[in-house]
Amino acid sequence: MTSLDIAHLEVSFGSKKVIDDLSLSLKEGEIAALLGPSGCGKTTLLRAIAGLIQPNSGTIRFGAQLVGLSSVVLPPHRRGIGYVPQQGALFPHLSVAKNIAFGLDKKSHSKAEIEKIVSEMLELISMTGFEESQPSEISGGQQTRVALARALAVKPKMVLLDEPFSALDAQLRGELRSDVVSLLRAAGTTAILVTHDREEALVSADRVVLMRDGKIAQHGTPEEVYEHPVSPTVAMSTGDALVLAGVRYADGRTSSAVHPLTGEALSGEIGEVVIRPEELHLSTTASSNSVEGTVVKIDYYGHDAMLEVKLQKNSQSINVRIAAPVDFVVGSVVHVQHSGPIRFFAKN
Amino acid sequence: MKISAKVGKFAAVVLAVGVGASLLAGCSSSNEQATEVTELTIYSGRSEEFIAPFFDQWQAESGIKLNIRYGDSAELAAQILEEGKNSPADLFLSQDAGSLGAVAAAELFTTLPDEVATSIPATYIAAKRQWVGVTGRARVFAYSPTLKTLPQSVTDLTSPAFKGILGIAPSNSSFQAFVTALINAEGEAAAEKWLKGLKSNGVKIYAKNSGIVEAIDKGEIQIGLVNHYYIWEVSEGLGREIKVKNGFFRAGDIGNLINVSGAGVLASSKKYSAAEDLINFLTSQKVQEDFVSKTHEYSLLAGATSPAGLPTLLEIGAPTIDLEALKNISVTQDLLVKVGLL
Amino acid sequence: MPTKIDVSSPRTPAAIGKGRSWREIALLAATALVVIFTLIPITYLAIRAFEKPLPEIFQLLFRDKTLEVVGRTTFLVLIVVAFNTIVGTILATGIFFVKLPFARYLIIPAILPLAIPSYVFTYTWLAIVPSLSGFFAASFILILTTMPYAVLATLIGLRRVDTGLIEVAQTLGLGRVQIFFRVIFPQIRLNISAGALLIGLYVMSDFGAVSLLNTETLTVSIQNMYKASYDRSAAAVIAMILILASAIFILLEERFKGSSKSSAIAKSYSVKTLLIEKISYRTTILALLTIYVALAVFAPFYVLISRFLGNPEPIEFSNLFSAALSTITVSGLGALIALLLSIPISIMNSKSEGAVARGAERIILISHALPGVVIGLALVSLGSKISALYQTTLLLAFAYSLLFLAKSVASTTASLKQVPTVLKDVAASLGKSSFRVATQVTLPLALPGIGLGALLVFLTAMKELPATLMLRPTGMETLATQIWSFASINRFNEAAPYALLLVLIAAVPTFLLSLPERLESQDRDTDQNRIRDLGESR
Repeated sequence: MTSLDIAHLEVSFGSKKVIDDLSLSLKEGEIAALLGPSGCGKTTLLRAIAGLIQPNSGTIRFGAQLVGLSSVVLPPHRRGIGYVPQQGALFPHLSVAKNIAFGLDKKSHSKAEIEKIVSEMLELISMTGFEESQPSEISGGQQTRVALARALAVKPKMVLLDEPFSALDAQLRGELRSDVVSLLRAAGTTAILVTHDREEALVSADRVVLMRDGKIAQHGTPEEVYEHPVSPTVAMSTGDALVLAGVRYADGRTSSAVHPLTGEALSGEIGEVVIRPEELHLSTTASSNSVEGTVVKIDYYGHDAMLEVKLQKNSQSINVRIAAPVDFVVGSVVHVQHSGPIRFFAKN
Repeated sequence: MKISAKVGKFAAVVLAVGVGASLLAGCSSSNEQATEVTELTIYSGRSEEFIAPFFDQWQAESGIKLNIRYGDSAELAAQILEEGKNSPADLFLSQDAGSLGAVAAAELFTTLPDEVATSIPATYIAAKRQWVGVTGRARVFAYSPTLKTLPQSVTDLTSPAFKGILGIAPSNSSFQAFVTALINAEGEAAAEKWLKGLKSNGVKIYAKNSGIVEAIDKGEIQIGLVNHYYIWEVSEGLGREIKVKNGFFRAGDIGNLINVSGAGVLASSKKYSAAEDLINFLTSQKVQEDFVSKTHEYSLLAGATSPAGLPTLLEIGAPTIDLEALKNISVTQDLLVKVGLL
Repeated sequence: MPTKIDVSSPRTPAAIGKGRSWREIALLAATALVVIFTLIPITYLAIRAFEKPLPEIFQLLFRDKTLEVVGRTTFLVLIVVAFNTIVGTILATGIFFVKLPFARYLIIPAILPLAIPSYVFTYTWLAIVPSLSGFFAASFILILTTMPYAVLATLIGLRRVDTGLIEVAQTLGLGRVQIFFRVIFPQIRLNISAGALLIGLYVMSDFGAVSLLNTETLTVSIQNMYKASYDRSAAAVIAMILILASAIFILLEERFKGSSKSSAIAKSYSVKTLLIEKISYRTTILALLTIYVALAVFAPFYVLISRFLGNPEPIEFSNLFSAALSTITVSGLGALIALLLSIPISIMNSKSEGAVARGAERIILISHALPGVVIGLALVSLGSKISALYQTTLLLAFAYSLLFLAKSVASTTASLKQVPTVLKDVAASLGKSSFRVATQVTLPLALPGIGLGALLVFLTAMKELPATLMLRPTGMETLATQIWSFASINRFNEAAPYALLLVLIAAVPTFLLSLPERLESQDRDTDQNRIRDLGESR
């Protein structure tokens, strides 16, 4: 298990720069989630770390070992990285046991040792008894587990997972994901999980890395990234966000559609205010800093509900998340109040 | 994995057999000494069916093993030309003089000493003694007993008496050899006129000589231009008598062309004495008589009996032509195409 | 354990990774060697052709007869390719999508004619219709003998069609014909054009059928020149025209195939739900199939069997079996050599579509149009100079491999390409060097497809005649040469047992070729892999 250090990495395909001056550090045993939209370069970054593509410039270090420098490149089969691609990618011509044992060197392990490791791995992924099954005979979730076991069997320095749960249905995803994360933590493996699922990133990772257009927009703990996004765009990447036009005044007050202005309007700068839907509260009675609105839509999720409220003042619609049970109906007049950090981003 | 397993096994078997066989083939490749001849290689344009018994006989008598390569005379000649000095053949036995002429023209034959094939008349030996004729193959017209008038000359065939009842095989090399002789004798213009005359006289086209003879037997046509031995070939093939006879044009007519099958010894061969011995065998009295009785070809020996019911070579009155001049039939083929018969 | 890299003296970019590794150089060298082999016949032709002075060459090229032959050959190719592409596609699509009795087995008679050599086919039809002759007769025969190529190629494409798209189209209200043209056809276009290419090149190189039917194509011209005038220069000049014609044909096919990059291939759902049950479709397809099978399978077999039964002579079994053994041995060896020769080029082709790989592939394809007589004479010319090699089984097998290399290259390349890149990436990440990845992952997965290519070469080599006649060891007979030798003296009844045995043996690889390929490893397309390489995740 090692730490990962990437410095000023650049990867271009022809004239297109896919990764642009990217720097990132991961501690030993950290699980990082790479989050971002399609085309942001997260898979490319993963492949560069794995050694499947070569960077144009920049360095990659595993611990003290330099593996990727533009002029010095360690080939992928000597990096000791576990790679779990989308949909597992098991070798169709090998059984489950042979798949798991694939990376184990027959020269340094005896047959008995290999068998032992394989059965340990199978137990780890709760698939004991599946040794002789063929990949075509097991389910998608099981395939992903086996792929993980295959990667872990060789005791890699690091495990790279490329959207391994994307093909599974929601319930299975959740279960498998938490199993996998537990396994990784138990092994203390440094891991990078590429995902486009916001919740998955927040739940699984110690560190969330947001990528956009080949650069890192922000990275930090899930809380840091969620509560303190560095831009409205980042805020939207990590969860539902309300981006409202707002003004910040010289004395520190901020006004927006949900932050009514009290007192005089002094000079201030125009910008955007970012708040989270769950930071808004609804009440039937007004208060000093509430705004009035009407419920126009209710999306009921069982454990909570997302209400669309049309503000009276400017007819703008905002989303409010409240816990169940829901006391309002469409058409209810409500008073919306924000309690939480007011994240203001100046427009410039 | 079903298919790949099958394929794998198949390939493995084939591989094993192939490697084994080619190793064996390598072992069996000849490696003769120039002093004692144990094997002789022959390229034979004569088909195995007819000539193999004679080869077997000589092999038994001489104790020399024969490696015989059967093929089409012209194709074998082309192969010899391509092989040039490196040809593994010792003897080339051809079904027609044209192929022999081609090899002779490329100077790939040894000049045969005077002692070889002494019994063959000089007419049937190449001018420079590069090859000797072995059997005679006469051009005839095969005809049905119902035919009213017999032609005296090939030129008669363009007349109304033979309208729609004549068959020819323009793609056949013997016919083409005949037309070549016609061109050489009378000139291209005359040949063209004659061919056009045939066409406007409703001549019927057949792919093979045997087809012509069969058609005469069936009554589709009454006369056809073929080689003399086909009436036997067809009747033996059908297993019964056929209602077809051979006829000859008047003496000296170009239609009475006699082509020969013949043999020559390759200049690159080191075994010429054995090869010459084989030629002598083929031109010996007994073997020549066998040719007449078994394959119904003409023996070239002076005074030999002719095939059943046919006049002797002398009696036919063949035109004097240079057999070697028959080697280039491309002009003939172009003419046949021009006239629309090919 | 990973090695430490000494950064204090960084190696130059040429040392690792960026420069040419020895393995790449070896691959290039192997490819170059194969290309050199393939160029032997063309080089031979060039040498012979230019033995003629230039004005004579031009005169030969542009005289009426030559132009007529070129025209005739072109028309023949066009007619046969056009007809077979259309009807073959209809047949294949029908067999695949229409509910027919014994549907799974109907493919077998449809491609069985592959087992029958064209000269045997023509002989049998001449027995039925003795006056069969001329251009249209040749078209008829060639259409019947090459239809299996079109059917097989299209079927291979159909098996990989995204049936989900068909279902979507159905819900959108598209009719069957529309669905075919707008959904199915774009996906099988590549395969159809591959079949058309094979047919066209075959028609150009065929000799057996056209010569027996008195139709002079370029190949017949070449042969005639060798035999009639012994003018090998002239023959070589005509052969150069043949090469030019095939080059044009290949380029045209590339155009047609064009920029149709196949879309990502999802797992095909079962076709069962899509089977068309409409009576009119079923009757049409069955009728078409019946007509074809009657003409192309029933008729030849009937003639062969009745000839066989009418054979008065007792069969010489020792000759029969030794001919069969020779046939299998030398054809098998030829297939193996073709396979080996195809590997370097296929590896290059599957890795990148660089100029070298494409050029090598084109040269191989062009040689595919060369008739057996040309390859035969080229190897006679070269081989006779090496007495240890001349007229040996090995040289003949080599001739076969040169003749049919294109088939092996095509299937080996396709099989290697179909191995998903992601599997190779995973294997590398698990510590396998690129050699190990090739042997432990790529090769096992590509093997079925590669094997099928070898089977095709095996099948075609068994039927070969002209090169076999010239290059076989003296005294060795194959089934093909025996058929020829009996047929040339009109002993058709005696030829029949050999012909039947040849067809029966050839039916085995033909049958194997008709089986469906494995589908599991075909989830991803190479283009999809390329998109992944650009860093876009799905």
